[in-house]
Amino acid sequence: MIKIDHLTKRYGGTLAVNDLDFEVKPGVVTGFLGPNGSGKSTTMRIILGLDRPSSGQATINGQRFANLKDPMREVGALLDAKAVHPGRTARNHLRALAASNQIKRSRVDEVLDFVGISSVADKKVGNYSLGMSQRLGIAGALLGDPGILLFDEPVNGLDPEGIKWIREFFRTLASQGRTVFVSSHLMSEMAVSADEIIVIGRGKFITSGSIDDLTKTAKGTVLVRASDHDKLASAVALHHGVVHEANDNGLIIGDLTSDEVGQIAFDVGIAVFELVPQRASLEEVFMDLTADSVEYESHSSGTV
Amino acid sequence: MVNESTLLASTKAEWIKFRTVRSSMMGVILTFVLIIGLGVLVSSLERSHWSQVSNLRQATFDPVSSSLVGILFGQLAVGVIGTLFITSEYSSGSIRTTLTAVPNRLRLIASKLFVLFATLLVVGEVVCVAAFLIGQRIYFGVVPTASLDNGAVLRSVLLAGVYLALLGILGFSLGLIFRQSGACISLFVTLLLVVPIIGFFFPQSWQNDFQRFEPSTLGQSMFSPSAPSNSFGAWSATIILTAFVGVVLLIALALFERRDAGAVT
Ligand SMILES: Nc1ncnc2c1ncn2[C@@H]1O[C@H](COP(=O)(O)OP(=O)(O)OP(=O)(O)O)[C@@H](O)[C@H]1O
Ligand SMILES: [Mg+2]
Repeated sequence: MIKIDHLTKRYGGTLAVNDLDFEVKPGVVTGFLGPNGSGKSTTMRIILGLDRPSSGQATINGQRFANLKDPMREVGALLDAKAVHPGRTARNHLRALAASNQIKRSRVDEVLDFVGISSVADKKVGNYSLGMSQRLGIAGALLGDPGILLFDEPVNGLDPEGIKWIREFFRTLASQGRTVFVSSHLMSEMAVSADEIIVIGRGKFITSGSIDDLTKTAKGTVLVRASDHDKLASAVALHHGVVHEANDNGLIIGDLTSDEVGQIAFDVGIAVFELVPQRASLEEVFMDLTADSVEYESHSSGTV
Repeated sequence: MVNESTLLASTKAEWIKFRTVRSSMMGVILTFVLIIGLGVLVSSLERSHWSQVSNLRQATFDPVSSSLVGILFGQLAVGVIGTLFITSEYSSGSIRTTLTAVPNRLRLIASKLFVLFATLLVVGEVVCVAAFLIGQRIYFGVVPTASLDNGAVLRSVLLAGVYLALLGILGFSLGLIFRQSGACISLFVTLLLVVPIIGFFFPQSWQNDFQRFEPSTLGQSMFSPSAPSNSFGAWSATIILTAFVGVVLLIALALFERRDAGAVT
């Protein structure tokens, strides 16, 4: 289990992580979701003892990472697939890692085989594609057969087949009772690969729960086509509904359910031709959740 | 604090890492080529010009340090080996992988130092003994020679190897402080080759006080059978250089303990 305890991290004037507090439990895949620059990588680096927290702490099964004896046997991590000396072969890289944690040498061939890079294991890592480096990183994480695994944006650089493979692989790891903590800035990715999701924005905790929980809390909209759109719009406004869009094809109304919109139309004597509840898409839910905390917003209009 | 079995394990890992990159191996080869090659060149010139050399120079000629003259450049090669052993971890980002495998930073550095010092000591002793023997072989019959049977000569040749190993540690410590190969290598070259030249422009009295503390002068004292004028004796020089390297290493360690290692610099 990973426990994050009132964790705060500042880099000079930047507040990268702001009083985060959560737990990552074994047996499920936990997604760590947030827009770019929200502090996901920083949190993971602190869990691994690479960066020092400004206050608070992160513990692994109750212990600080730096105090683990052979840490690779308890925690496997893949933060940055390219963080390998480019002049060394994959096999030698893994052999050195295995030696440092008293892991037997035969395990190196096992993990190379498992991630499917045995045939290039004696080539220099500097020549690897991002996808191959990613697989090598996963091999390194698995080397010590750890009960806890951390992956920072693991699907980056993988082809569709690789993505499918890694999703199933996370499920398998979780079903073996391991703690699997995976970050992403894509809700759609989390929706298919994670059971539980922790959402952060600008270093702050926003919400957590299953995908279903998160989509339920997000408000959908209602599309309605009726005999008098202007009259309906005023009536909706009276009932605290919000008209997002209005044109000849109909109205898109927020903050009201389709039942409520139908009832309002009936009350003011408007004929409804079409009434469609629209569930928010996953990306909309995510944007809705993190709307106030997006660090790098793009401005679509205007000249550059 | 530092557990014995894990210290052995991380030292094994660092040994694998050291010998599986080309730069270390190239550095070792370069050390051999520079020290032996320059030694052969200078000794041969010394022999062929011996009859034209002044009597005073003939009288003060030291067959030991002249056969080890290649150290002037060989010391740069070991410095680069030491520097790259740590800065390559920063340039590639592999320091993060290394630290997730060995999070105890003191233990990690102890392992790296052990591998580096042991390797460079073996390399240094082998190359210096070889350069010395080859030099004497070239001098034989024309130029006066020295023998390892003489205690002071043996001490000089062995301390020359120690000097190289210490400079490797100096390069490593600078690398740990600056985390950037280029800057460290320039600084290292400045310290060993440029500072002595600058010192040359200072007033004589100042030179006398200052020059003998320069790493290259300390080295000269270490591998000369009798101390050159205005410099320390061999053992004092060894102690001073060790202390100097030790201080730089301690600064490096203190910084390494404190700094975040995760961020890409
Ligand atoms: N070493 C550092 N020095 C200064 N600022 C940093 C450093 N590392 C991260 N930051 C800042 O901290 C914030 C969080 O960064 P972090 O990389 O943790 O975000 P992230 O959620 O992983 O983003 P992404 O989705 O882009 O990977 C950002 O504002 C970033 O600029
Ligand atoms: Mg990140």
